[in-house]
Amino acid sequence: MLTDRGLDRYQRQVALFGEEAQERLGCARVVIVGAGGLGCPVALYLAAAGIGEVRLVDGDVVDRTNLNRQVLHADRDVGRAKVESAAEKIRAQNPEIRVVATRATLDEGNAAGLAGGADLIVDATDNFAARYILNRVALHAGVPLVHGAVRGFDGQATTIIPGKTACLECIFPVTPPGEDLIPVVGTTPGIIGLVQANEAIKYITGTGDLLTDRLLVWDGRAATTAILPVERQDDCSACGNGRC
Amino acid sequence: MQVRVRAFARLREAIGGDLTLEVPEGATMSRLLAAVGETSEQAGEALFEESGELRGYVILMHNGRRVRRAEAGTLTLADGDEVALFPPVAGG
Repeated sequence: MLTDRGLDRYQRQVALFGEEAQERLGCARVVIVGAGGLGCPVALYLAAAGIGEVRLVDGDVVDRTNLNRQVLHADRDVGRAKVESAAEKIRAQNPEIRVVATRATLDEGNAAGLAGGADLIVDATDNFAARYILNRVALHAGVPLVHGAVRGFDGQATTIIPGKTACLECIFPVTPPGEDLIPVVGTTPGIIGLVQANEAIKYITGTGDLLTDRLLVWDGRAATTAILPVERQDDCSACGNGRC
Repeated sequence: MQVRVRAFARLREAIGGDLTLEVPEGATMSRLLAAVGETSEQAGEALFEESGELRGYVILMHNGRRVRRAEAGTLTLADGDEVALFPPVAGG
């Protein structure tokens, strides 16, 4: 049951998808891996939507070069752990949810523990090595994964339901090249991060159609989106041939 | 015959937008990709490795269907077909 306070706070959402769906958001645990360009808007909007437990995972500290796009971090946060800076802001936004900040860099050894018990994982990382690890953890645990990535004015997003839809390695069997300095304007992770947050809210509330087996491609220069159909691959090294 | 090419992300920047290319009747996907690469130096670099092989991470679509790398050499195109080329992005 939502409290009177909760009914006020989430009035516009209850009007949209009902009290029971709002309660589901309040019971949900979401792990956001990455507290950078994507992770900041994802965390802020999921907190505002009333996700019961938001877990932030990131090993980095805030650098001045992050501030054009990592909108939860301010000038005074430079040098501070990103998860601490982000957690402070989203706790202030919504003190009624639980925010867990874990300063750690995701790797094969800690990934399952960091994502354990989550109802949904958001891929807000900045490299494909980490994304492949998250994909496999999500497949193994049977937990949905919402992927997003950006560069320049371009972005992509998709939602993965383990065992049912194309996984990240079905869609991207070969990693795109890494770059020392990825150019990006802050609005691109803002837009893609909000697509990811929207997917998380839809999944938890059972609303609408998820971006499953579809890759959303955003072109900010042209202000257009395209949807590319994608499908499970029998020979996928992560989920093919009965692996998942 | 004419084939429409939709390019995304860095490839779109390299090519400068969507293209309609004239290719010989019965041209394969590989033939079309070579033609796209020949449109400019940047397009060639965005699509192909120095060895001349198609960059492994570029996603190929033909009339809205994903095309596997191994099919590119044998998949024949028809007049009016649409090919989409998507190099994924990796930042966050």
